[in-house]
Amino acid sequence: MVPETAAPLPRGPAAHRHRDVVFSDDREWARHLCAFVRGGLDQGEQVQYFADTTDPEKVLRTLVDAGIDAVAAQSAGQLHVSTAARTYLTGAVFDPDAMIGLWHEAVEAAAGRGHRGLRAIGEMSWCVRDVAGADRLLEYELRIHDEVFDRLPLTAWCFYDRRLVPDARVNVLAGAHVTHQGSPVPEPVLRVTPLADRPGFLLAGSAGHDTRDVVAAVAAALRGAGAPRLELDMSRLRHLDAASLAALAGAAAQRPPGAPVRLRVGPAPLRRLLELFPELGSAVEVVER
Amino acid sequence: MTAPTRPPGGSGSRDPFFHPALFYGTDEEYTGGVGAFVRGALEDGHRPLVAVPGRRLALLRDALGDAREEITWVDMARAGRNPGRILSMLQEFADRHRAASARVSIVGEPIWVGRTPAEAREATRHEALINLAFAGRPAGILCPYDTALPGDVLAQAYRTHPVVGAPGAYLASSRYADPHDVCRDCDVPLPEPAEAVVVPFGEGDLARTRDEAERWAAAAGLPPARRPDWLLAVSEATSNSVRHGGGRGTLRMWRTGRELVAEVRDRGVLADPLTGRRRPDPRATTGGRGVWIMHELCDLVEIRAAAEGLVLRLHLGLE
Repeated sequence: MVPETAAPLPRGPAAHRHRDVVFSDDREWARHLCAFVRGGLDQGEQVQYFADTTDPEKVLRTLVDAGIDAVAAQSAGQLHVSTAARTYLTGAVFDPDAMIGLWHEAVEAAAGRGHRGLRAIGEMSWCVRDVAGADRLLEYELRIHDEVFDRLPLTAWCFYDRRLVPDARVNVLAGAHVTHQGSPVPEPVLRVTPLADRPGFLLAGSAGHDTRDVVAAVAAALRGAGAPRLELDMSRLRHLDAASLAALAGAAAQRPPGAPVRLRVGPAPLRRLLELFPELGSAVEVVER
Repeated sequence: MTAPTRPPGGSGSRDPFFHPALFYGTDEEYTGGVGAFVRGALEDGHRPLVAVPGRRLALLRDALGDAREEITWVDMARAGRNPGRILSMLQEFADRHRAASARVSIVGEPIWVGRTPAEAREATRHEALINLAFAGRPAGILCPYDTALPGDVLAQAYRTHPVVGAPGAYLASSRYADPHDVCRDCDVPLPEPAEAVVVPFGEGDLARTRDEAERWAAAAGLPPARRPDWLLAVSEATSNSVRHGGGRGTLRMWRTGRELVAEVRDRGVLADPLTGRRRPDPRATTGGRGVWIMHELCDLVEIRAAAEGLVLRLHLGLE
């Protein structure tokens, strides 16, 4: 099924190629799975499925039942169905930097084998188990928009099963994708999304003590992001508390020397905090919305 | 009742900390007493801070003539509208000038005619806490008191100042009291509102509580310019309940004729009366920002520690 000419596919916008897919039953799961795999095989892309709780045999059986020649694709090396535990979670800890490196290697390997691109599905339900580094998943989801999808011919859907991941977690993690697919996701208290058109992140909603984990993930993404110039767009925040601002400003100050993080301000509480603590604005470039 | 003690100026001091109350009845007594203290400080090479209510600022500027350029002037009616934030300002000034001169001289007038009884009580607490915050530090803080103030307020000045008097005659106050005792005496029961909106909250309700507080304040007539102050202060108070006050609390909100009040009750304690009276490092991971932020943003903050927990009232004026 690999075309004779393996010219890379034209890349669509990164925002469309990295999606969250939220579902709550097997029928929805199968519909998303089959559409995604069929599209990839038809276009000559390599397709990889990283299962968590789903038996890989069930994945193959579902594809076959939908009329997809999954067995042949598997034999030709165009389809791989494995588990997260046997692949990217084999290390001691889930590490966003290591994962970003793995994606670059995987895309290169797929191209080297004559595939026109790489598409992947990851079941993300391991994030609620006692997996070392699972608390860094949001940081990872935020960073890969720029560090992976903006740079590589990769299409990936992150599967979030509502039966396995609590709603509050799904809402935040799904919100970290520019493009959403599947059942509707309510707006979380604090939503953070990669900026679609430039490196950086958009915060929307209300940040306080209750959202400190989300803020910590954004701070980690700020520290770790490889882009030389980053923007933190706060123009859609209704509220931000001092601890959240301190965490984000601290992360901005810890970035390598270079252009300061651009802080796009919006809410009056943020401006008031910067009046009280001007030193928190010293490591960023404050710009109006 | 009193015994003679040191001169009003900053020079020649044996004790590192000098905290007199100056009682005045006329403008002349005011400019004479405060002016002598400020001139003494200037002669010693200090650049003093003068934080007094606006009308008195003009009076002193005129009286001090050319020397006024050497002085940091602050309108206490604005900067010290909430007495709970004055001490932070004084300590910040003292910290900033510690390198420039061995001794710091400050004039601070936290109580003036027109202060409400609740404000005067918190200003008295502030006066007592000055003695804890500056104990052993090389500083002189002169506090002028208008003799037109109510008698109970003037009586407290004798308890909060180690020395008291009038120009040229400072005497040790025999009524000077332990600052902790003064603070305890300031912890009078808070009046119950006629009616209030009640919002119980836990960690999972913090965002909803913030939103509700913001909506209620807007509907109650708080001007848009003050709403960030209200929201930030309520957010810090409710977060403190979750972090330090047993994981949950109750927010009550009501309107009086001139102000909005937010009260937060929880199971917390306040062990250190100086909590929130010094500007924190906002980047410190140890916290300690909350109470200071509330003092900075509100027009009055009342905190009552009782056996059943902590009560914190935030007041914001409607004008």
